[in-house]
Amino acid sequence: MDPAEVEFLAEKEMVKIIPNFSLDKIYLIGGDLGPFNPGLPVEVPVWLALNLKQRQKCRIVPPEWMDTDKLEDIREQERKLDTFTPIPNPYYMELTKLLLNHAADNIPKADEIRTLVKDIWDTRMAKLRLSADSFISQQEAHAQLDNLTLMEINTTRSFLLDSLNYMYKLRSNLQPGRSKDY
Amino acid sequence: MSDHSELSGGEEELMTPAELISRLEEAWLNEKFSPELLENKSELVECVMEQLTHMEENLQRVRKGDLKASVHRMEIDRIRFVLSSFLRSRLKKIEKFFPHVLEKEKSRADGDPSFLSPEEFAFAKEYLANTEVYLRAVALKHMPPNLQSVDMMKAVPEPCLDSFVFLRVKEKQENILVEPETDEQREYVVDLDQGSQHIMR
Repeated sequence: MDPAEVEFLAEKEMVKIIPNFSLDKIYLIGGDLGPFNPGLPVEVPVWLALNLKQRQKCRIVPPEWMDTDKLEDIREQERKLDTFTPIPNPYYMELTKLLLNHAADNIPKADEIRTLVKDIWDTRMAKLRLSADSFISQQEAHAQLDNLTLMEINTTRSFLLDSLNYMYKLRSNLQPGRSKDY
Repeated sequence: MSDHSELSGGEEELMTPAELISRLEEAWLNEKFSPELLENKSELVECVMEQLTHMEENLQRVRKGDLKASVHRMEIDRIRFVLSSFLRSRLKKIEKFFPHVLEKEKSRADGDPSFLSPEEFAFAKEYLANTEVYLRAVALKHMPPNLQSVDMMKAVPEPCLDSFVFLRVKEKQENILVEPETDEQREYVVDLDQGSQHIMR
């Protein structure tokens, strides 16, 4: 799966904006978006928020988890534990990238947030590499990975699944009477 | 614009358009990551096409309100991307496994839901016929007479149903058997809780 497709899915998350125009309710196929009044916050999906921001028709309000103190706590937690900690939003990486690229002026301490999220991402990726390594070397058949986000899974998806499949094929060819063409 | 209260999805159930779109996205992801062709979702595809054409007609009529029209158009584009990606991954699998797909379709009982839509079935049959003609013209007719046939089922590799996948559990399942990978391990059972994610074969 492309990272672009993961970003596509991330863009469906809702975010608060403060429009500077007014418009009555719009009835999209995916749901209704409330009436827009200048100065009053309204929730819209990220793809719409970014488009409106680019046309300079709104201001984006950063989500609650995008705050330096909270992110620092998460980073410390992540560094202490060996397992993956639950994180506030399953699309934290994509949302950080999108919101900071397009709306950095609406987000306080944007650079710090960028660094903190990158640190959290690096720690989690290192843990993921270690656990994938042990998964393959111990030839496990099953693993539970509750707190992983789609983006992290996606980075190792093709490598991990292909290597596991090939190893399975090689192993099953060793056993008599089981070789098949795939 | 148009009023979206309830959409009659054909025979079984009434779904809101939002539910329809989320089911389409789920079907899209499932089809993308599963190693073999999944059951056909033609009623889902038809409903989504209906919604899209309906919305486009509205947009044609109402030219005013540039902002509203562009928002609707963006949403239509997004939904159209998901739909075409879904159909494209189905076609890719049909092309890859065409003899097995046709065999499965022939051997299913009359009451079972079909794996291919009528258009996909016609596509698969044409692909088979074209491949046979091509192989015959390029290689087979130059071979000695007793080697001039090719068994498509053996020639084309079949989908590997034992590949590993990542999965997320929607309903709690208990006692799923995990087969051992090496000779030293023994098989064991796992319980799958709702909402958790796993990787397994």
